[in-house]
Amino acid sequence: MRRARPLLESLFAISIGLIVGGLLMLPFRYDPLKAYQALFRGAFGTSHDIMETLAFATPLMLTAITFAVGVRAGLFNIGAEGQMYMGAIGAVFAASLLPLPPGIHVVVATLVAMLFGALWSLVPALLKIWRGVHEVISTIMFNWIAFHLAMYLAIYYLAEPGRAERTRPALPTARYPILAEGSTLTAVIFVAVLFCIAVYFVLWGTRLGYELRLVGENPEAARYAGVRISRALLWSFLIGGMAAGLAGASQIIGRPPAWSLYATLGNVVTLGFDGIGVALVGRNHPLGGILAAILFGALQHGGRFMEYHAGVLSELVRAVNGLIVITLAVPELWAMVRRRWIR
Amino acid sequence: MLAHPHFRPSVRTMGLRIEMREIHKVYPDGTVALRGVDFRLERGEIVGLLGENGAGKTTLMKILSGLLPPTRGEIRIDGRPVRFRNPADALREGIGMVHQIFTLVPPYTALENILLGQEGSALWLAKDRARDRVQRLLEETGLSIPLDVPVELLPVGVQQRVEIAKVLYRGTQVLILDEPTSALTPLEVEELFRFLRRLKEGGRSIVFITHKLREVLEISDRIVVLRNGRVTGEIPTIEATPELLAEWMVGRAVVPRVSRSPRPPGEPVLVVRDLEVMGDLGLPAVRGVSFEVRAGEIFGIAGVEGNGQSELVQALGGLRPIHRGEILLDGKPLPPLAPIEAYRRGIAHIPEDRLRFGMALNFDVAENSILSRQWEPVFLRGGGRLNWPRILTFASELLQRFQVIAPGVRAVVRSLSGGNQQKLVVGRELTKEPRLILAVHPTRGLDVASTAYIRELLVQMRDAGKAVLLISADLDEVLELSDRIAVMYEGKFLAVGPVEVFTREEIGLMMGGMIPEGRAR
Repeated sequence: MRRARPLLESLFAISIGLIVGGLLMLPFRYDPLKAYQALFRGAFGTSHDIMETLAFATPLMLTAITFAVGVRAGLFNIGAEGQMYMGAIGAVFAASLLPLPPGIHVVVATLVAMLFGALWSLVPALLKIWRGVHEVISTIMFNWIAFHLAMYLAIYYLAEPGRAERTRPALPTARYPILAEGSTLTAVIFVAVLFCIAVYFVLWGTRLGYELRLVGENPEAARYAGVRISRALLWSFLIGGMAAGLAGASQIIGRPPAWSLYATLGNVVTLGFDGIGVALVGRNHPLGGILAAILFGALQHGGRFMEYHAGVLSELVRAVNGLIVITLAVPELWAMVRRRWIR
Repeated sequence: MLAHPHFRPSVRTMGLRIEMREIHKVYPDGTVALRGVDFRLERGEIVGLLGENGAGKTTLMKILSGLLPPTRGEIRIDGRPVRFRNPADALREGIGMVHQIFTLVPPYTALENILLGQEGSALWLAKDRARDRVQRLLEETGLSIPLDVPVELLPVGVQQRVEIAKVLYRGTQVLILDEPTSALTPLEVEELFRFLRRLKEGGRSIVFITHKLREVLEISDRIVVLRNGRVTGEIPTIEATPELLAEWMVGRAVVPRVSRSPRPPGEPVLVVRDLEVMGDLGLPAVRGVSFEVRAGEIFGIAGVEGNGQSELVQALGGLRPIHRGEILLDGKPLPPLAPIEAYRRGIAHIPEDRLRFGMALNFDVAENSILSRQWEPVFLRGGGRLNWPRILTFASELLQRFQVIAPGVRAVVRSLSGGNQQKLVVGRELTKEPRLILAVHPTRGLDVASTAYIRELLVQMRDAGKAVLLISADLDEVLELSDRIAVMYEGKFLAVGPVEVFTREEIGLMMGGMIPEGRAR
């Protein structure tokens, strides 16, 4: 019952969001029912649509982990964006430049990406632990550094000869297999889901996770319990960095047709920030994040159908989607505010 | 000279005459803090308000300064009934309070802090004009404050002056000080007293809240003693004796001793030698304390809170560094700042504030039942995994064995009552198979039944041959449970000995910082 409650709250929030979104459509003389039908059919109507929805969801469930694991340890880690760029760069590097046998190549490229993401989160982590630098400040700055660094590397060192708008594509040996002809969904989604489940297990099934959550819930009780707080914070950052790095990899070696990073970073940009919303909707829970990411994917993919089947203006589609997301985020935002300021 | 609306120069009959009648206060959670208190304050006098923790001193003065509404009763100023809705109302009537915890903005200068919140933003433009007024106030009252230094760089004593100046600047005629000397050095105390006398001569009235007998005897003109929400005595200071005040403060009730097996205590489990521990402000909080706790005895430390007890226990529990001296457990030194090592060596710690240290409210019962025990191999499997089946069994055993009423082991601890939360913490600690139990305010805020039950558990532990160190601000609790006691005052033990050798009055005297005749140690 206790576990079901957040789910019920979220379902309730979805209905509120849908109703409010519908009300927003009325003055513009759209039929909300028809529009939502198009949205749903677009997102889940055919198996192809379902797969596209899932392809959109894959990176989001991972960047949501970055934020959620931070919140669980009492951190406001918004560095997924930058860590994800670095993961993407790592993936491009390992996937396009290292000649490795099939099978091993995918694994190595994935691990390199996670390592890059984790390393990028290490600096804010150490700044926090040693100097008390607030993670909001440091991760925002590191997002920008990563943005420009990734762009620089993509243009000057990793660019595909003759096609400067993107990096060298991943070698075929480093690509996750596509799950169905014509789809952009690859086997990387299994890795992503497994990662989420693993994080869930760590948080609730191990001493490390227990201590990490205790630090987030009540740092003074954690001290009393003998928890080494800096170690718990470090792990929160590192797990988050790995997740974000994996998210970056998923867009390089797990997402056709480009199999590469655009020099503008256009095919990855904002995935890290979207993860914050996904995490909130998923109640900062790794498994809730999977469901929330699918919802985000559905809104993204199905939103297009709302546009050309129900004829809803694309701006309005985005406004409606935004409304749904905001209402969904309210319960967890409220819970976080209550935990932090109202005791 | 243009008279500033809020700041009237002090001449002649400046003070107010205040009367509080039949003041009752019941807090929303049902705690009765005041049970019909009469209090009056004349012009130009210093009244010492004396009492133990929880006697109601601070509550009474918070009512007078508009911070709390009384549940019943009335306040009159110069015979005219008033009702304060907030501290601003009281300030308008010339009543201001300086709290124990300062309300200064650390990076702002002293001047900015004094002006802050005074007249809105317009004042920032007229800071120079305001500076003159503050300057004049300081000269008149004899306060010396460097106005342009950020207050975070000032010593605590000077910060307190800023706090006082802030209140006086608002034209205060009645100044209330809550335990103003608790963070001050003796020299700073002297200076504060000189300043208070000068204020008094200027016609202002002062209420001085304290538990320190010597100070109240030195500075006040009249003393009012509160105990358990009632006035137990009132006397002009020249007629007062420490013995009389101590008796009023702690009462003379004879405490029934909990029955216990009359067995001699065993070998010393905890030996503390010449321990010195620093407080949060960087000043020594525990100042050279030596004692031992033997197996099969309860060693109680009495004293008004804030005299170093918290810091002492935190050092023993591995939560606070040791500045000097040593702590031996079973003859071997306890490494500092290693709580888990302390637990491993057999220390159980019932912390002073369960909500702050002892539990995580949003964790469930099972998770809280291993808080501070999450490292124990019984609760773990290979690879650092938690052994959930065992944790759940253990949690439900705790619930049963310690009579914790909870919806289940998966219920969030937030949903439990205070008594049941505390029983959970106590049960968790006592089942550690400890050698030494640190019990700090173990029954604070609990209902009668839970209190009795937890006290009984502590005595059972003693009878089972454990060493128990009991620290409580509740003197009755210490007297009821302890075999031997110490009285702690300003970081030192004023006396150590078997509980029978002290009279209640003597303990009261020592809690107020006076050593009774023939008891010099």
